[in-house]
Parts: sequence; structure tokens; C-alpha cells
Amino acid sequence: MERREALKKSFLVAGSAALAPSLLSILQSCKEQSRLNWKPEFLSIKQAELVSSLVDTILPKTTTPGALDMKVDMFIDQVFGKVYSEEGKKAMVIEMEAFDARSTEKFGDRFAELSSENKTAFLKEEEANCGKFNGKIWGTAAGEQDPVGFYRTLKSMALWGYFSSEEIGLNVLNYDPVPGPYQGCIPLADVGNTWSL
Amino acid sequence: MANFNIDAKQNMTYDAIVIGSGISGGWAAKELCEKGLKTLVLERGRLVEHIVDYPTMNNDPWDLDLRGAATAEDMKDRQVVARSGFVGENNKHFYAKDSDNPYKEEKPFLWMRANQMGGRSLLWGKQCYRWSDLDFEANAKDGHGVDWPIRYKDIAPWYTYVEKFAGISGEALGLPQLPDSHFLPPMELNCVEKDVKTRIEKEFPGRNMIIGRVAHLTVPLNGRGQCQSRNRCDRGCPYGAYFSSNAVTLPAANATGNLTIRPFSIADSIIYDEEKGKAVGVRVIDSETKETIEYYARIIFSNASTINTTQILLNSTSNRFENGLGNDSGQLGHNLMDHTYRVGAMGKFDGHHDKYYKGRRPNGIYIPRYVNIDEKSKTDKFVRGFGYQGGAGRANWDAGANQEAFGAEFKDSLMTPGDWEFFITGFAECLPDYDNKVSLDKDNLDQWGRPTLVIDAEFKENELAINRQIQIDAVEMLEKAGLKEIVGFDNKHGMGYGIHEMGTARMGRDPKTSVLNATNQVHAVKNVFVTDGACMTSSSCVNPSLTYMALTARAANHAVSELNKKNL
Repeated sequence: MERREALKKSFLVAGSAALAPSLLSILQSCKEQSRLNWKPEFLSIKQAELVSSLVDTILPKTTTPGALDMKVDMFIDQVFGKVYSEEGKKAMVIEMEAFDARSTEKFGDRFAELSSENKTAFLKEEEANCGKFNGKIWGTAAGEQDPVGFYRTLKSMALWGYFSSEEIGLNVLNYDPVPGPYQGCIPLADVGNTWSL
Repeated sequence: MANFNIDAKQNMTYDAIVIGSGISGGWAAKELCEKGLKTLVLERGRLVEHIVDYPTMNNDPWDLDLRGAATAEDMKDRQVVARSGFVGENNKHFYAKDSDNPYKEEKPFLWMRANQMGGRSLLWGKQCYRWSDLDFEANAKDGHGVDWPIRYKDIAPWYTYVEKFAGISGEALGLPQLPDSHFLPPMELNCVEKDVKTRIEKEFPGRNMIIGRVAHLTVPLNGRGQCQSRNRCDRGCPYGAYFSSNAVTLPAANATGNLTIRPFSIADSIIYDEEKGKAVGVRVIDSETKETIEYYARIIFSNASTINTTQILLNSTSNRFENGLGNDSGQLGHNLMDHTYRVGAMGKFDGHHDKYYKGRRPNGIYIPRYVNIDEKSKTDKFVRGFGYQGGAGRANWDAGANQEAFGAEFKDSLMTPGDWEFFITGFAECLPDYDNKVSLDKDNLDQWGRPTLVIDAEFKENELAINRQIQIDAVEMLEKAGLKEIVGFDNKHGMGYGIHEMGTARMGRDPKTSVLNATNQVHAVKNVFVTDGACMTSSSCVNPSLTYMALTARAANHAVSELNKKNL
């Protein structure tokens, strides 16, 4: 008996229903990166896999947590479902499909299924063709904002979800809820990282 | 300061009625109560007690599932105020539901409403600038609108009076076009603002860049704490550091024992007695029960906010005043003004990479008007002028969205502050124009059976000409100040975005061309006073709230003096 078959059999003997999904994922090892360990409330599974793989590519785990550690994909699912209008949701879904269609055309598969090299290559192209946000004044765009592509929008949401998370806000950036009188010119070295609020 | 007297049922008759509890209504209540008048404040929304009713004041982003964003469901009822970009989960309860208060926009007009005790005093920008004779003489000099019936000397002591109690921080500079207030210590400029200030003042003699003058305490005052630079003002301030009716004037009024506040009370109309030839009270609709109730008083102050005051006066008809109370001139509802908003420039500052700041200063810089202030600065492109607000700060992670980068290095780079950025945005004076108007729509009633409003107003050629200059000058100043990657912008906003509505019941010398006299009394009904933005005869280019405060205190003083002389 081949080793692979034996492995399969021993798992089957163990017979645990709870193990079945992980068994499946081991057997389909090349697809492991698209596996979700949470159930989206508003996005479809495929849409959620796209969001998860995107936020993980944009903000991977380093010495600091990654976007998936901060559940940024789950946050985006909530924003999509609760903050977006019905028209906004429809437009977003169309853009997601177009994004994956471009990925398939160029690299033969939807984004979540690409190798990390191909993900990087694809996002570099998207970066260059995606439009930019206008500067903001008091929280809103200065000048009339031209439409911005899906990737830029998603990236912006990923940054928002990541940097407004409790772990990053309290323990990675500088948290100072009650700064006291404004000090306009102090050495950056005395502060270090960006203020979180 | 709990325990406001809200039991207006016991008593139908008061010495004074004040309609509205925002910036000007709060001042009217304080002044009248302190002078011994039993005063009823009619508030169309709910009670909002200082601190007690600020449920979100300490929220961090992660305390809310959506990190501060409001849901589509919440915003469905707030489609108008949503256009401002200011409304989110942490402050939505201070913005009125547009769906409850429909109005018709003949041309785009953003009417920002905050229907609760304190009104927009909970949400305002706190920028406070005295007007000067450049403003009070403008109409007389260039012939637009009618002459103000007052001059700077008439209001100057009242500016001082309200500033001492409200608490205005700023720096005294002795500029004739922007008189100094009675100041608390100024807030600090940051390093880039200091550099830009030096360069602009050197390159452009006659122009100044100063720290904003604001109603934030920089030292404690009357039991209120100083600003802690949290910049969470629009949720209510636990320190009472910024001026609001809730934290400042209404508690003072309440302390006299003379104040009664009636919430959920929509002022339907002012009751005019034909025989007595004066107003005798206010007809109120309870917004919850829809019951109509009449309250009576010897004097009435209308401080419902510019457009709401106009609605009340237009809706107060009688045989004597078929077209609205005090509308003999036909000017009531006309001459609506606002300031232009979001025209300017932004850029990056190369330098001070090793510098940062501490605190989220709820204030910025101000560039006072420098055009058309004397013969030398005169332009033939437009009359009147403009000023700029703005500021510098370092970009944070938010700027990462536009960077053509992603991945490990990108993420780690966003942990430290980014580029220094600086912007200025202009506020143009708006001319009084008869065609910019508010009128009643008797065919469309609101849920309380009152005629709704039609707003028909737009910026005209003079304002647009000023806006063009604002953008040209903004780009030029940023260039000369050494900024890089400069972008000029013009959001081409319609009226309303400045949230400085003014002018629809203007003061004037002649009852034939104005609604109010020099002490804010309706010309033909002397016991009715209007001291909110409706009273303004011109718009200046500076923020108007401080002037509403001063005019209100001045009018209240006059009212009580006239009452004592039995003239009202």
C-alpha cells in the first residue's frame, strides 16, 4: 500500500466527522490557502475567499500580526453587509467578479487560488490601473472623486479594519485616549509609532 | 446638572419664551433667566443633558463592530445630512432624521439639522471670529442688500461679554479686519504650520496665518475643564471644554431657578393679538402626542435656527400679517446666505521628518481676509472677500491605500508617521440676494400638519468669482511656502455645506426693506426678537456663531430694559 493510501485509510479509520474537512484540505493541499475558518454572514464563500486572500496578501503576518489575525476579512464581511447600500453591494459583487475574471484570464485561476508569486504579480498590475483616492479634508474627499477600482477600495477597507482593531490600536500603535494640551512640535523619537486614535 | 424643570404643564404663562436651545437660544435663556424672567425654552427634540446623554463620548474604534461607521439602515433616514460626510455611529443620534423633516430643494441645498436640546451647539466647528466694520459697513458701501443698523462699536462690548463666559482661545494680533477677542491662551501651531506661516507672511506682505480662534478652553473656566485634545467633540465633551448650550449656557440658566425646558415641542406659530398689537404667546405642537398647546409670555425670542425661525414666522399669519409675522417688507424668507466651502489646495511638506506632535487638536490655522480690505488690496474681480481655514499633520496608515505597494514591508512601514501634509480651504462671503429664498409649501404638510419648506438658493457670480480667486491664491501660497505635489480642489458645493445659513429675517434701518430693527425686534411687533442667523444683514466671510451670541446677549439686555420701562 502506498504511503498516501495508508494515511488516508488511517484517517478514515479514526472516523471523526470533525476531522473530515481538514482531511479534505490536506488531500487538496494546493487549495489550502483559500480555505476559510469562518462562515461569512453576507459574502458568498467564494467572495469571502477572495477577500481573505487579498487582505492576507496586502497585510501578511510579520513580527506584527497579519490582517487574518485581526479578522479583517470578517470585518469586511460585516461592512459589506451592513454599511453598503443595496446598490453598493451589487456594484461590489460585479467588481469582485471582474477582478477574478482578470485573474483567470492572466493566470488561469481566480485570485484566491493563485500561487503567492502570481498573486503578487497580479496585484502589481492592479495597483497601476486602479485609480487613487483624492486627499481628504475633515474626513471627506477634496475635489470631485473619480471612481476607484475594487482593489483600491478593498485595500482601503483592509487598512481601516486592521489599524482600527484593538490589538493594533492598543499594543502596536501608540494609544493615548486623553493626550492633554496639544504639543505641536516634539521629537518623533519620543513617540515612535503613529498615534492610534 | 441634572434636574431640568421640564414640567411646563403646571404653568401656561411665563415672562419670556425662547424658541430653540442651540447656540443663540441657550444664550437667550441664560440672559433672560439671570435677569429674573421666568423663561420657558421650547425644544422641538429630546432633552440632552451634559455628560449624562453623551453615550459614545469614550468609544474607541474597536468598541463598535463597524468601527464607527453607521449602517445603511441608519443612514436611510439621514440621506441629506449624510452628504456632509460628518455622520457616523458615534454621533448619529445628534443629527435629525431627514425623513421626519422633509423639505424641497429647488436647487441643491444641504440643510443640516440637529433637533435636540443644544441643537447644533453640540456639533459646531467652534471657530469664533469677531466681525469688524469692514463687515458692518459693506452693504452700505457697495450697495448689496441693506445697511446694517449697527456698527462694530455697538456690538464690541457684547462680544467681550459673551467671550468671557464662553471661553475663546486665540492670539491677539490687532488686525483691523479681524478684531481681537477677549482671549484665553492660544493653542499651539505645529512645526510645519510655523514654517508655512513664516514663509507666507514673508512672501505675501499683508497676509497673516494664525492659530484658529476657537471656543475651546485652554485653561479651566467656571468649573469646566480644559481641552484634552481628544477631538471627539461631536459626541459631547465630558470635560465641557468646548462651548455648547448643554455644557455652558443652559446649566447657568437652570441655576437661577427661572428656567423651564419643554422638550418635544415644535413651535408652530407665534400668536399675535390684533387688539394689543403685539405677540402674546407661542402655539406649540407636541411632537409625540401631536396635541396643540398655547403658551403665553410678555416677550418671545425666536432662536430656532435661521430656516426654522423663518418657517415659524411665515406660518404665523393673522389679519394684520397675512404673509407672515412682521413681513410688511416682503423680505421675510429672502436673502438666504451661506459661506462657500471646500475650495482650496493641499500639498506635502518636505522636512521635519524627525518631528511629531501630541494630541488631536480640534482646531487648525486661519488666514484672515486680505483682499478688498483697503485701497491697496482692492480687486475689480469681485466685491467682499474670503478667509482660509486649514492645517498641517502627518499622514498615517490611511495614506497607504494610495501607495503602489502591499505586503510585509508595506505593512510595517505604515506603523510610523508618513509625510507632513498641509491644506487650506476658503470661506467666501455670500451676498444677500432677494432671489435666494425659503418659502412655505402649503400643498405638502409634514406629519404634524405644518406646511413644509421649499428652499430655492444658489451661489451667484460674485461668490463663484471669489471661489476662483480662493483656489488660485491657495495654490500660489502653497507653492511659495515650499510645499510639493500641490493639488488645487473645488468641490463645487451648492449652498448649505458651510452650515452658516443666514439672512432670511434681516436687521435694517427701514421697516420697508427689513424685518428686524437694530435691537433684533420685529419692526412691527416689538416684543418678538430674532437673534439666530436669520437676523443677519450680510454674511461676512468669517464664522457667524460668536456674532449670534453677542447679538443675543445684547438683545436680551435691551428686552429686559424695555420691559422694565413698560415699553413692551
